[in-house]
Amino acid sequence: MTEYIVKDKLTFLRALASSGYNLIAPISMKNKIQMAPTDPDKVDLDYLNTFLSPKSLFFPQTEKMMAFHKDLTKSDAFVYKPLGLDQVKPSVIFGLRPCDAKGLSVIDKIFQNNRFTDPYWNTKYEPSVKIGLACLNPGPNCFCTAVGGSPFGEIGLDAITLVRGNGFGLKTLSAKGEEFLKNTSGLEIGDLTGEIADLKKKVEASLPLPLDLSKVQGATILSIFNQPHWKTTADRCLNCGTCTFVCPTCHCFDIQDEQDEEGGVRIRNWDTCMSWLYTVHGTGHNPRPTKTERMRQRFMHKIKYIPMKQDGTCGCIGCGRCVQLCPVNIDIREVAKQMNQG
Amino acid sequence: MHNPYLPYPVRIAMLRVETEDKNLRTFKFEFLNLGDEEKFAYLPGQFAELSVSGQGEIPIGIASSPTEKGFVLFTVNRVGQVSSFMHNMKEGDVMGIRGPLGHPYPLDRLEGKNLLIIAGGFAVTTLRSTITWMLQPQNRPKYGKITFVYGARSPGLLLYKEEWSEWQKRDDIDVFVTIDREAPGWNGRVGFVPTVTKEVCPPPQNTAAIICGPPIMIKFTQPVLEAAGYSNDDIIMSLENRMKCGLGICGRCNVGPEYVCKDGPVFTLTQLNQLPKEY
Ligand SMILES: Cc1cc2nc3c(=O)[nH]c(=O)nc-3n(C[C@H](O)[C@H](O)[C@H](O)COP(=O)(O)OP(=O)(O)OC[C@H]3O[C@@H](n4cnc5c(N)ncnc54)[C@H](O)[C@@H]3O)c2cc1C
Ligand code: SF4
Ligand code: FES
Repeated sequence: MTEYIVKDKLTFLRALASSGYNLIAPISMKNKIQMAPTDPDKVDLDYLNTFLSPKSLFFPQTEKMMAFHKDLTKSDAFVYKPLGLDQVKPSVIFGLRPCDAKGLSVIDKIFQNNRFTDPYWNTKYEPSVKIGLACLNPGPNCFCTAVGGSPFGEIGLDAITLVRGNGFGLKTLSAKGEEFLKNTSGLEIGDLTGEIADLKKKVEASLPLPLDLSKVQGATILSIFNQPHWKTTADRCLNCGTCTFVCPTCHCFDIQDEQDEEGGVRIRNWDTCMSWLYTVHGTGHNPRPTKTERMRQRFMHKIKYIPMKQDGTCGCIGCGRCVQLCPVNIDIREVAKQMNQG
Repeated sequence: MHNPYLPYPVRIAMLRVETEDKNLRTFKFEFLNLGDEEKFAYLPGQFAELSVSGQGEIPIGIASSPTEKGFVLFTVNRVGQVSSFMHNMKEGDVMGIRGPLGHPYPLDRLEGKNLLIIAGGFAVTTLRSTITWMLQPQNRPKYGKITFVYGARSPGLLLYKEEWSEWQKRDDIDVFVTIDREAPGWNGRVGFVPTVTKEVCPPPQNTAAIICGPPIMIKFTQPVLEAAGYSNDDIIMSLENRMKCGLGICGRCNVGPEYVCKDGPVFTLTQLNQLPKEY
């Protein structure tokens, strides 16, 4: 791991953009801060976090997976051929918040699981260089520290930066980051260890204390699943799905075919476990018939199932987007507390 | 990189209407491309996504046994969009299959045991695969006594008549085929699957049961096995949930932390007793 001092922000961003990689960074679009391909000059660093999570960079809201044609004079009529898997110019993503980078690593373990690799995710995620931006002034809805994260968290990142005067402090975190930054101009080797440790302590102290989830972790699935509070917890929920769309670790999708006279495509679209259609069988039987079961599924998934499958890592990374955007003010922290109380 | 979403192209080599209500059809597929059959190496209990270009995909249990070479078989109930479309397809039409998906029945762990195989209705598909596989000369010695109980509402709704009539003639498998109510021309057993199971089930010592059927059959058969002393580790079932990816990625088929597609569809009753009944 190498620590660098970056004197000037813009010079650094320009160097990233001319590295042979696509620069993706926060910019202002329709009054919202979003991660998008951009010129270095347009990068906006005055943000708490991006409005939506960065998952769409690797897992677009809608994505064509394969296509076929109906030309019967050719031998491959009606045979699907893959789309979108060609080698493309890789991206360097600058300005990821540590919570979101951790969220990406949580869904990476699902898209590349113990049996299958999703090639559509893999071809975008693997080659990209992810550079984080540590949080020096977290917002009122931030609670990464409550769920095992940190404003200086390193999971899922190849390097992390912090704003320092007109420039940045920069620390590499992976071999990929080391290799990439080694060739970037305008970097001076420096020593940031003490500075980062002090800042981290200070900023963490301004954030919420860890949530006590020890009972949830120790209890059986069924004892939490059958807790009596679910009915009242779900009372307010509209099943609108907003929380699932903005969540950095929600990864569910639907697969649909579309066609016209000449051919067709198979596409995937973000889906939500809050919808009745999500689980209904062809027979009409629905294992999650009411909103109570559907809302319970979302919170069980984040707070119980993902930790069981990912060595204790919580499925909520504390970005606060669902807390801020839920139309009826359902707060995952309150639900988690209730789950822990029984 | 292998693309697990991409179906292997297949041709419908043969179509057979299985039941008198015409709601079930068996599809025999042949792979269009050389080498794809080897890539689709499967074991009894696994399933595949059947893909109709422009219509969508459906998860269907593999009804053939890997010992039957040159083709794969599936039996499809007419339900909704894709299955109904398939019922209107013809021999020679091109579609796709991808997989194999899910885990097979624990054939290794079952070695040395007696087996009680119970099927109700068209859920018999992957059990056709299992029995065909087990009756092969190279596999049969690995297992003890095999008892097969199979029931349907009426004689016309029983699948695979040719196969089980052959099995009935053998002395290395006991076959009990039953229908719910008396019907003209039926000389076989009459009675519900749980009742027949109670009558014919072998003693639980060193015996495992595999059950596939509609929820109502499972609900009434389970207590019969429990009363007979079968241990929950030796009661094996296959679950169904709505699916899309079949790979444990799209999220929709989960039962607790397990994905029916990737971690199932085969589970023991011990496992199921620790999971929510969201299926
Ligand atoms: C592991 C497994 C094995 C199965 N084996 C068989 C079999 O051997 N024979 C058989 O006839 N049926 C089987 N089914 C059920 C079969 O998948 C559904 O009947 C079928 O998906 C209905 O699709 P549809 O497009 O006709 O109906 P629609 O109601 O139009 O369904 C739309 C889509 O929802 C999904 N879907 C709907 N119902 C189900 C369901 N019960 N299970 C999974 N996905 C569903 C499919 O992606 C389907 O294309 C199996 C299901 C699973 C999970
Ligand atoms: S955003 Fe709120 S109301 Fe909407 S589904 Fe999520 S918890 Fe329910
Ligand atoms: S069908 Fe996609 S996770 Fe099981």
